[in-house]
Amino acid sequence: MMDLIQTISSSFVSLIPVTLAQSLILAFVVLGIMIPFRTLNFPDLTSEGAFPLGGCVCGVLLAGGASPLTAIGVALVAGFLAGCCTAFIHLRFRIHTLLAGILMMTMLYSINLRIMGKSNLSVFGAPTVFDWAPFTQPGFPASKIVVAGIIGLVVFLLLDLFFKTEKGTAIRAVGANPDMAEAQGINVWVATIGGVGLASAFSATGGALMVQSQGFADVNMGLGILINGLAALMIGEAIVGKQTVVRQLAAPFVGAVIYYQLVSFCLAAGMPPPDLKLATGLFVLAMLALPSLRRSRGPAQARETIRE
Amino acid sequence: MLEIQSARKVFYKGQADEKIALDGLSLKLATGEFAVVIGSNGAGKSSMLNAISGALPLDVGKVLINGDDVTDMPVHKRAARLARVFQDPMKGTAASMTVAENMLLADLRSTRRRLRRGLNAKRLEQYRERLSLLGLGLENRLDTRVELLSGGQRQSLSLIMAVGGDPELLLLDEHTAALDPRTADIVMQATVRAVDALKLTTLMVTHNMQHAVDFGHSVIMLDAGKLRLEISGEEKTTITVPDLIGHFAVKTDRMMLAS
Ligand SMILES: Nc1ncnc2c1ncn2[C@@H]1O[C@H](COP(=O)(O)OP(=O)(O)OP(=O)(O)O)[C@@H](O)[C@H]1O
Ligand SMILES: [Mg+2]
Repeated sequence: MMDLIQTISSSFVSLIPVTLAQSLILAFVVLGIMIPFRTLNFPDLTSEGAFPLGGCVCGVLLAGGASPLTAIGVALVAGFLAGCCTAFIHLRFRIHTLLAGILMMTMLYSINLRIMGKSNLSVFGAPTVFDWAPFTQPGFPASKIVVAGIIGLVVFLLLDLFFKTEKGTAIRAVGANPDMAEAQGINVWVATIGGVGLASAFSATGGALMVQSQGFADVNMGLGILINGLAALMIGEAIVGKQTVVRQLAAPFVGAVIYYQLVSFCLAAGMPPPDLKLATGLFVLAMLALPSLRRSRGPAQARETIRE
Repeated sequence: MLEIQSARKVFYKGQADEKIALDGLSLKLATGEFAVVIGSNGAGKSSMLNAISGALPLDVGKVLINGDDVTDMPVHKRAARLARVFQDPMKGTAASMTVAENMLLADLRSTRRRLRRGLNAKRLEQYRERLSLLGLGLENRLDTRVELLSGGQRQSLSLIMAVGGDPELLLLDEHTAALDPRTADIVMQATVRAVDALKLTTLMVTHNMQHAVDFGHSVIMLDAGKLRLEISGEEKTTITVPDLIGHFAVKTDRMMLAS
């Protein structure tokens, strides 16, 4: 028995740095999920397509000899455009946001294949942004932790500033009460399209960083990332809360770090990897169901925006 | 100045349940005039206000604000010129945002929003001052999320938000109807004070005949989407509640009770 605990904990501990590096990269996707779901009240699935889109764009550019920073920049723009399309489909044709996201996600799969020309592409050995980490050996988790951590911190601080500007406050108002926002002179279309675009840009950035980290791009790399991201977001919100702008922005980062360590622990403890999605799904379901279970009488009010 | 020219709006046109909300309605409101709008349920009062704000596109007709044709202008562009308070306290504020943030949104209604810090010390001081006029203590709750306020407090906030920035036109749609009598009175007094002080061109919808008698320069009565009656000047100062009720085709207990 003690032996078993020992092996579990030693294999878990040895994986902590790798998992941390991975989670700091995936935090961008969680951020890209949080912004539509929470800030814009626009439940959106585009991330599931924007993440591999960013990866594929980055992969092709790296393979073509572009600098890693250029690759990330172009991936970011591609993700932005994908998000804009989802928001436009919803606004223009009055299609439910979730369906608009599924449409985009499905179409993006073909686009990603077109971009790469094949289903996966190795860019192993190409220069990456992680090579620039000071005092660390390229290719090791420490360099990834430093670089992804710094980019994450900068994005966090910039977003915190942005959401407190006049423009940023207007975007939050559109999520809080679109009719009121419109009556206060805010162009709901511009704010929604820009906001969802921004969110998808972060998801695509996550994809680009992931490709540089793992050394290959794959059209299937986004599979299930949305539910993983939601689980991470909910853990983050349970820990840091979501009542203020700072807390809501910190939740994706904190949540991603904790969630992926939890996953790593479960795997180390012997959970078969195929069961992972089932476990994550059940976890998200439990988090969503919790408020209605707590209330003893009758169904809960739809306070959670994800529920109808 | 506000001008509505033969406005027409039909819901479910050509269907069995066709509803004529506005039926060739024309109306003129001078600058600085405070008109009280009355009329039975379904008379088209809210539809008229929605047509003015742009929330309801007209089938036929025009809306002019200070001589400019705004008929084809989207809601968010018209917002630069007019402000509204709705009947539902939830509608006029962003619940998950703070009192100060809501004030900021209203403050920027007619200006370009820029990429600079929204809530600065100067603005916070201004908001505190403006909210203190209500005497509800809202000035000490600038950082409170609006969802934690009572309906009356939210409605009072909506009013302060609407009258700030000196709108060319103020639209009030039964804005005290959802409040208890005491709070309704506070909001009504604040409304009258602001409208008088700023000489706001105002349309106020109400089912309270006493309010129609007590406040405003004129009374406008709508019926079946048309202007049925306009009482202004000398006549308005002498009108009584029974006089007004006499003009309704169907009288309800609510009107009697309000008198
Ligand atoms: N969105 C809508 N869809 C269909 N019919 C509508 C809509 N809005 C208003 N109507 C109809 O238009 C007519 C006028 O409605 P409106 O809301 O303007 O009346 P009102 O004078 O504000 O009444 P109340 O005193 O009850 O608020 C009514 O017959 C109503 O049923
Ligand atoms: Mg009405």
